[in-house]
Amino acid sequence: MMGAEGAGPVPDTLKIVIAGGFGAGKTTLVSAVSEVESLHTEEVMTSESVGVDDLDGVEGKATTTVALDFGRITLDGSTVVYLFGTPGQRRFSFMWEELADGALGAVVLADTRRLTDSFDVIDFFESRGVPFVVAVNCFDGQRTHRADDVRVALDVEERVPLLLCDARDRESVKEVLTELVALVLRLELSGA
Amino acid sequence: MEAVPPGWDPGQEEPFESSLIRPYSLTGGRTRPSRSDFSVTSQVVAVPSVSQERMDPEVELILSLCARPVSMAEVASRSGLPLGVVRILLADLLDQGYVTVRTSDWERRRPDAGTLRSVLERIRQL
Repeated sequence: MMGAEGAGPVPDTLKIVIAGGFGAGKTTLVSAVSEVESLHTEEVMTSESVGVDDLDGVEGKATTTVALDFGRITLDGSTVVYLFGTPGQRRFSFMWEELADGALGAVVLADTRRLTDSFDVIDFFESRGVPFVVAVNCFDGQRTHRADDVRVALDVEERVPLLLCDARDRESVKEVLTELVALVLRLELSGA
Repeated sequence: MEAVPPGWDPGQEEPFESSLIRPYSLTGGRTRPSRSDFSVTSQVVAVPSVSQERMDPEVELILSLCARPVSMAEVASRSGLPLGVVRILLADLLDQGYVTVRTSDWERRRPDAGTLRSVLERIRQL
């Protein structure tokens, strides 16, 4: 489809959500394969998000602001992949809703120091039927963690791909993304 | 970038609290868009040669940012305005015929196997 005259074709877009706790390496992962941009949201607080963990003591505040990093990968003139990082804690679930809607799939970026950060977002993607892979970010570049151990700790099923990665490394991040797209392809071929 | 709230640090991930008044003054206090056509990846393009009325500088900025197709997320990022405000202003601009918007069919249904294979191959080649 052409856009406004002279503006060039309007690309088709695919959205991939990168979910992980603070410091899990979301921005690093996005920057390994694309230029990173940041946006912020001003969300009006809902009763659902008020009263959860860290929000104690901020009664009366009308909005909360969240930073989101995202990247754009132009595959060709007609296809663009957007990678959206989102915090993995439940109090940010209002962003998961928006980002998961229409997403091709998600990467749960797990930090072995804080595996529990990933539980809520894994539950969310499972309940919404959003295809996802778990990528365990090995910061030190050494694969000191066994994928099987992390799978047990996170209690993710065998059918969910789980791989170790280095979010700084372009090839490693490409492997994570191809794992996700391959999963979606398998789902498509199986009619799921 | 003046619309960025005071104390804003692009690198920070922790949420911070702020007043509704400042960002939403641009929307006349509205916190919801007039229509819900926009997702974060929706591609927005300014319509050329629409009569140039006098507009808020922020609105002119938004129109200049989408001279070529860009996502709503990119408009928010490059304007420094909060996503919620950009969504409302873009909905107004769409109502007024200043922009067109297209949300990919892939937001509504999964791409077919052939497309997915092609995407897979292109990611490998990055």
